[in-house]
Amino acid sequence: MRASTFIRIVTIAAAVSALAPGLQAQTGPAIKFTETKLGNGLRVILSEDHTAPVYSIVVHYNVGSRDERKARTGFAHLFEHMMFKGSENVGPGEHFMLIFGTGGNMNGTTNKDRTLYYETLPSNQLDLGIFLEADRMRSLDITKDNLDNQRNAVQEERRQGLDNQPYGKSEELIDELAYDNPAYEHSIIGSMADLNAASVEDVASFFKTYYAPNNAVLAIVGDIDSKATLDKVRTAFESIPAQPAPPAVDMTEPKQTAERRLNVDDPLARLARVDFAFKVPPRTSEDDDAVRVLATILSTGRSSRFFQSLVREQQVSSGVQAGRDSSIGPGLFFVSATVAPGKTAAAVEAAVLAELERIKKGPIAGWEMDKARNNSKRTVVSGLTSSLNRATQLAEFASVFGDAGRINQRIDRISRVTAADVQRVAATFLTAENRTVVTTTPKPAAKGGQQ
Amino acid sequence: VIARHQLVLLTAATSIVAATAHPIAQAQTSPSSIRYKGKAPVSNTVLKLSLPKPKEADLPNGLHLMVIEDPRAPQVTMQIVIRGAGGYYDPADHFGLAQFTASNVREGAGKRSSPEIAEQLERLAATVTVNASMSSEDATLSASALSEHFGEVLDLAADMILAPTFPEQELARFKTQTRAQLMQQRSNPNFLANERFSQAVAEGHPDGRVSPTVEALDKTTRDSMIAFHRTHYAPDHAAIAITGDVTMAAALKAVQARFGGWAKSGAAPPMVADPIAVADPGVFLVARPNSVQTSLIVGTQAIRYTDPDFYGMTVLNKIIGGGPTGRLFRHLREEKGYTYGAGSQLDARRYRGTWVASTNVRSEVTEAALTDLIDELRQARDIRIPDSEFADAKRSLVSAFALAIESPQAPLTNAITRWRYGLPADYWDRYPERIMAITQDDVKAMATKYLDPKKLQIIAVGDRAAAEKVLQKLGRLQVFDAEGKKIQ
Repeated sequence: MRASTFIRIVTIAAAVSALAPGLQAQTGPAIKFTETKLGNGLRVILSEDHTAPVYSIVVHYNVGSRDERKARTGFAHLFEHMMFKGSENVGPGEHFMLIFGTGGNMNGTTNKDRTLYYETLPSNQLDLGIFLEADRMRSLDITKDNLDNQRNAVQEERRQGLDNQPYGKSEELIDELAYDNPAYEHSIIGSMADLNAASVEDVASFFKTYYAPNNAVLAIVGDIDSKATLDKVRTAFESIPAQPAPPAVDMTEPKQTAERRLNVDDPLARLARVDFAFKVPPRTSEDDDAVRVLATILSTGRSSRFFQSLVREQQVSSGVQAGRDSSIGPGLFFVSATVAPGKTAAAVEAAVLAELERIKKGPIAGWEMDKARNNSKRTVVSGLTSSLNRATQLAEFASVFGDAGRINQRIDRISRVTAADVQRVAATFLTAENRTVVTTTPKPAAKGGQQ
Repeated sequence: VIARHQLVLLTAATSIVAATAHPIAQAQTSPSSIRYKGKAPVSNTVLKLSLPKPKEADLPNGLHLMVIEDPRAPQVTMQIVIRGAGGYYDPADHFGLAQFTASNVREGAGKRSSPEIAEQLERLAATVTVNASMSSEDATLSASALSEHFGEVLDLAADMILAPTFPEQELARFKTQTRAQLMQQRSNPNFLANERFSQAVAEGHPDGRVSPTVEALDKTTRDSMIAFHRTHYAPDHAAIAITGDVTMAAALKAVQARFGGWAKSGAAPPMVADPIAVADPGVFLVARPNSVQTSLIVGTQAIRYTDPDFYGMTVLNKIIGGGPTGRLFRHLREEKGYTYGAGSQLDARRYRGTWVASTNVRSEVTEAALTDLIDELRQARDIRIPDSEFADAKRSLVSAFALAIESPQAPLTNAITRWRYGLPADYWDRYPERIMAITQDDVKAMATKYLDPKKLQIIAVGDRAAAEKVLQKLGRLQVFDAEGKKIQ
């Protein structure tokens, strides 16, 4: 039963890298944790922090919208809703009541690659969090009534977040246009028709395939005793049977060879907007850190190049944002620029592209690199006071990189990025043939009708 | 960092519940969406906890300092609350001036230009923002930084508060950007609903104004901002609250060095009156063409923060709409499937505030959802809250203090609230017992007193054809367009 158990205590401070000229050592605070693999393949990460009478429990399932089969878009997220509708020993709705009734907080969230469940609770409710997560991993209660109800809720979620919002349609279409591989091209929320088609049989089969202990990482962080907690986790989880590994998803994305372009009329929008999506390598790529620094320099805050140039000086745009999406596989680097009243989308597009050329060719200032480094340090430091942040990150690093210890490398990885790296990734990926451009044009509303 | 539109997708498209809140409980008569199996191990102990208390001091100019020493992480978070510098005290002919003034202090301060301020802060990954909303008493500066940069950031914050330069050319740029924002916000249905509701409950009061007009923006000058700043930014009505890896001694020295020379006004803090009591029900439709949902608000005037009814209303609000365990969420979403989320909020401040229930539902079920929502209020008035549901609601409110201790922000916010309303030093220690003292009869009395159908304001934003007939059944309907103009 207790096959490949190992315990690894990680106490290494993030290694100090050889430093680029002009920057100080930014070795961050080291987060200690233990990692154990149960007999059924469930990876368990525990980290003690006794500064507040609180703990967080996170279960990270390695399944997202990329795993959906044809004509079932939106299913991974719809399934996530079903995880709150009861299991063998927990009634429908009881989960919400137990968590909030004891002063806790909880949620679930789905993206293209993973589905995450969490609870933060007062530390005297450790047994409760472990019980709730184990019970639904072991024995989800699947009924047609629950499915129909959550299908409705999810369809309203889609309307609220997308169909009833300006630019919602454009945001969905840009992924469809940019990606060729079906794994990533459809939206996480899915289409109304596919949501309608989902059946209880789909739910049961998805549960068996993907919600197996060997496809999950469990992290518990906070005011806990690691040894006692591991015993509780074993008792609750280790008898849940492993399943065959889920089918691997082909994530490969063919190389894009020409610009893709689309215009969208949007009766809910007031101002035009230009959205760009450039293909960038997976998060596991060595270039990913440089891509993140590039985004910081271009668009973080009022000192960013986009704000200073497009918004403040030229005044062609009323707001620009940029950054890489969160996908683990082939990613998209987005730039989204709202057209200022009286200006044209063409002028905004030209101004964005000029800034991209400038960063490829021109110098990057020392303070811009400092900004990126300090940003990563701030992010790490501000996460220290949140057990949920720490648990989420540990589980994510364990799942994506197979190395939870990467949590202690965040600052140094960004510190190692040089200005030349940033220019190189900009020149490599922010090219005409690698981009998709969607322009949204406000359309005067047709009286009373649908768009 | 991810692009905003991705954030929209990720946040709106993927969570089980929209916002995190802190909710409740079961019941013998509990709705069919919940079934208790009672097998989960629950500790019935509520941890007895005391929130970290600030150390406090007053500068000779009246500026009040509160410091919560929290060495858990090498960072510092700070708020400067300047009572009297918010939109409540806009000149009668220039609503929005307080907001414009606060927004422009970062456009030039001391010897630094707008881009220099941005660059210096962001190089350190520090943030300093100043806001003064139209329906607020205060201008508030919020800052955060790594503790190693605290001194440098405090220098900048002091320059912004004490020595803003309001350069003409930055004002011109600000106007261009703000015009676009004023236009953009009208595409958001929840903005439109909130604007109409605020008008309905606080017409003629600052709380009734949620956004400045383009005309007010256009007439703003450098001189008008200088004058507003000179007369409304005073230390004797202000507080600085700091939490993080800093000691009281160090903070006091740092604050005294930068803010000690801030000249006091010597005047009493400014006041306004409560919003006029609303005597009639109201039914409003904001026509938003091409909407696929109707955004609903049902609300009413309620209480001040310091009213004795505050605790009863807090429990009532929890039961009706405090998150995924509230009745609205359970009935409208988990039973009926009308919506992604439904909840309620109590907004209690120095002057008479509001209680609102809100939800977004697909257009076709506007009538059914509104009927159910209004019926929830009737049930709260007419039917005694079941014992277990009531106990769970109170326990939820009280036990949530454990999570507040983990957050650096929550104790700071609580300290500011205590200062703002002049509450006793043990206010937060005694909060749980005040909540626990509330009875089912108290809550029923609150519902009867405040959720009076004769005073309810009903707002719907959406497709006119889908909502108009429904709303006409509820009373005399007033229709507005998305520009805020009354069209019927």
